[in-house]
Amino acid sequence: MDYLSKKYLRPRKIPSTACSGCGLGMNHKAVVQAIYELGLEVEDIVWGTSIGCAGRQTFGTWKGDGFAGTHGRVYAIARGLRLTLPPEKKIILTVGDGDAFGIGLLHLIHSARSNADLTIIVNDNLGYMSTGGQYGWTTPHGSKTDSSPYGMYEHNLMSDGMDVLGVLKHAGATFLARHVAMDGQRAVESIKKGIRNRGLSLIHMVYPCPTNFGSRELGTRDTIKMYDYIKSQSAPMGEEKENTLWATGIYHDTSDSRPEFSENIHKNIEKIRRAAAV
Amino acid sequence: MSTRTEILASGFGGQGVVRLGQILGEAAVKQGYRVSMLKSHGTEMRGGYVRSQIVLSKEPIDSPMVESPNYFVALSLAAYKAFKHLVKDGIILYDPAFVVEIDKGLACVQRPVPAKDTSVENFGRPVFANTIMLGVLSSIVGELDPDIVLESILHVIPKYHEENKRAFEIGYALLGKSADEVLHKR
Amino acid sequence: MKRYLETGNFAITEGAILAGCRFFAGYPITPATELAEAMSFRLPQVGGMYIQGEDECAALHLCIGGALGGYKAMTATSGPGFILYADPYGWAIGCEIPLVVLNSGRVGPVSGITGAPGQGEFYLTRYPTQGGNFETIVLAPNSAQEAMSVIVESFYLAERFRTPVTVLADQLITDGFEDISVPENEGEMKEMGFRTWPRKINKGPVFYPSTDEIDIPPVVLGHNTGALCSDWTPTEEGYDIEEVAAHHKHAYRLIYKVRNHKELFNNLYEKNFMDDDPELVVVSYGTPSRVVNTAVKKARQNGLKVGALRLINLWPFPDEHFKKKTKYLSVELNWDGQLVREVQRAAGKDSEVHFMGSCGDLPTVADLIETFEKILKGQPLKRRGWELEEW
Repeated sequence: MDYLSKKYLRPRKIPSTACSGCGLGMNHKAVVQAIYELGLEVEDIVWGTSIGCAGRQTFGTWKGDGFAGTHGRVYAIARGLRLTLPPEKKIILTVGDGDAFGIGLLHLIHSARSNADLTIIVNDNLGYMSTGGQYGWTTPHGSKTDSSPYGMYEHNLMSDGMDVLGVLKHAGATFLARHVAMDGQRAVESIKKGIRNRGLSLIHMVYPCPTNFGSRELGTRDTIKMYDYIKSQSAPMGEEKENTLWATGIYHDTSDSRPEFSENIHKNIEKIRRAAAV
Repeated sequence: MSTRTEILASGFGGQGVVRLGQILGEAAVKQGYRVSMLKSHGTEMRGGYVRSQIVLSKEPIDSPMVESPNYFVALSLAAYKAFKHLVKDGIILYDPAFVVEIDKGLACVQRPVPAKDTSVENFGRPVFANTIMLGVLSSIVGELDPDIVLESILHVIPKYHEENKRAFEIGYALLGKSADEVLHKR
Repeated sequence: MKRYLETGNFAITEGAILAGCRFFAGYPITPATELAEAMSFRLPQVGGMYIQGEDECAALHLCIGGALGGYKAMTATSGPGFILYADPYGWAIGCEIPLVVLNSGRVGPVSGITGAPGQGEFYLTRYPTQGGNFETIVLAPNSAQEAMSVIVESFYLAERFRTPVTVLADQLITDGFEDISVPENEGEMKEMGFRTWPRKINKGPVFYPSTDEIDIPPVVLGHNTGALCSDWTPTEEGYDIEEVAAHHKHAYRLIYKVRNHKELFNNLYEKNFMDDDPELVVVSYGTPSRVVNTAVKKARQNGLKVGALRLINLWPFPDEHFKKKTKYLSVELNWDGQLVREVQRAAGKDSEVHFMGSCGDLPTVADLIETFEKILKGQPLKRRGWELEEW
């Protein structure tokens, strides 16, 4: 166990039960690294997770307090918790793409709308991989999955010039970034900015799934091939190539520009309470 | 059943049927009565009539339903037609401006109360009809203390206190001697 | 004590505040909207929070979040919203989160008529979520004043049992006006029989599989106790575990912590005229029970040997009231017959069980008395629509 794991993670959950070659660990590590570089301690953070690979594999890993919601609902639980926890406690959510951009999108949009102080890491394995590999809302066009045996042809949130981060930007999120699992320190820097923002921060992090996505779309579980597939189709923003699906870096940053959800509510309640007491 | 007094008020939406019930109920609470009042429900909301069912009693109230009203205030023809048969030995107060067709065959006492026209005559507009009707009710419902009903009107309706006071007095005097007859009959 | 002419919604709001509720999340729906409005007005005055969810599913999840943060929380809805609670309700049962959930019944299915009362969720409140392997506590008041005390009691039971408690009301209770007494201090609360239980913070293991113990503080996050809770089968520490033996222990607890401590709520019922061995026992709950009481009183004046049993504690179903061999009549605000099925099961084969339903409005005293007479004379029940049916 390395130093960071020892400091922040529960030994019971190491090693994780993820499939071999899964890239989720890289994302997870980037989050923990960001926490460390910000000088935060175990008690500073309450960690929430969702349903799916990303949620299940990261649940109960954090040494401090943690919770897992049902599919798509962790954002609503987290908002309730945000209102009742002290403002200095950070809430970090590690969730999956199906959870955030499918079943939970309405709750996510309202978290952005209200600018709740949450840092959400959406770990995107390009579809519903924990159920065996069905297409999702960010699956690249034409990809073969178990529910798109002829290649995925539905419109989704990352096709036809759409970008799911654009939806969230217009919904009111104050920090948005995109990375791939191999981005290393660049991803860590974005996550740090996300955690620092007093408002809704979301970092979309694509990661490789050789077991289900790779085996169907690439015809192999070869980890290297799956990593290359993601790496070759990503590029830093401004350096995009023709085949770039994932332009990485900070997508939108208006950190601390508008009142945070719970701060705003507590301020108003206090005003009403004082007036009523008179 | 004699321990309870049942009042039914019904008319169109916007005539203040619910508010009328609320004012009567509030006055009764101040007088130490147990009170229940059901607002209209069912298809009535957007259909023909709105209804308030008020029950007053010195004892705890079981059924909140008005099945045999002692007083029925009818403010629309639809309401009159719908509920006139419920009144057995009670009294129907109807506003002839709306209830233009009376069933002469009913055994119960029926009294026209021209609340709307009286309001227009005295105040130039119909909005005080409700207060006039409350004045009339206060003159015949033995359980109600008119001073407390007026107090409740002024509490529930924040505006036009002078006009409401006058309207209440006009209503209280409207039935004249016949109010006493009705009152004694109970 | 202060007296008001006010709605059940007002009484419920004041009751919740007296019980220590400082968090309400809701979503507008008739006839529970006015309760949300009353909460939005009153809670901030006492330093509490009102939050509007993006839907009912979010509303109950917000309450869960509030409870996890250490607050006493509550939500309210009507049937079409109650079904959207299924997801968070299950989570709250599994994670043993104290909450109060109010359902003001209206006639259904689906949207039905917004302004008409109904009792179509008798079973839905027993099974508010999927999966089985749990017991639920459901209480049903029959007046605005009683709704206040039932809400206070629900917060008390929710804390002690670490579970959501459902209050099943109806449109007539929440929207109807009544004279309501509100206690103004602790002495007056005691006088009215109100009891409260403080929120404590769990510092030991998170879950207690295999035990039926109550009075264990619930999971509260943010105190660095290392608490873990999730939708999965938990270990004592809250880790997710895929093991049937572990699930057996979890399920045992969720069922028997409630079943083995029924004495905390099974005194919540009312028996009227039951002393002289009535030939017919009329069973009901909620607003219809008030009409039943009037009808039973009147029928007895006419010489009929009728008694009234009014249930406040609906679930776990109080079988003990139906041990006597006699005739039972279940009076409900639905035509399909829900409560009657439980009465039939609890009463057993030797008793005669009848059903009288109404759909969208209350039964009348006259109809009730006519039905009592027919049953007592052994005459066939007259059918009007599907109102009367030999069960």
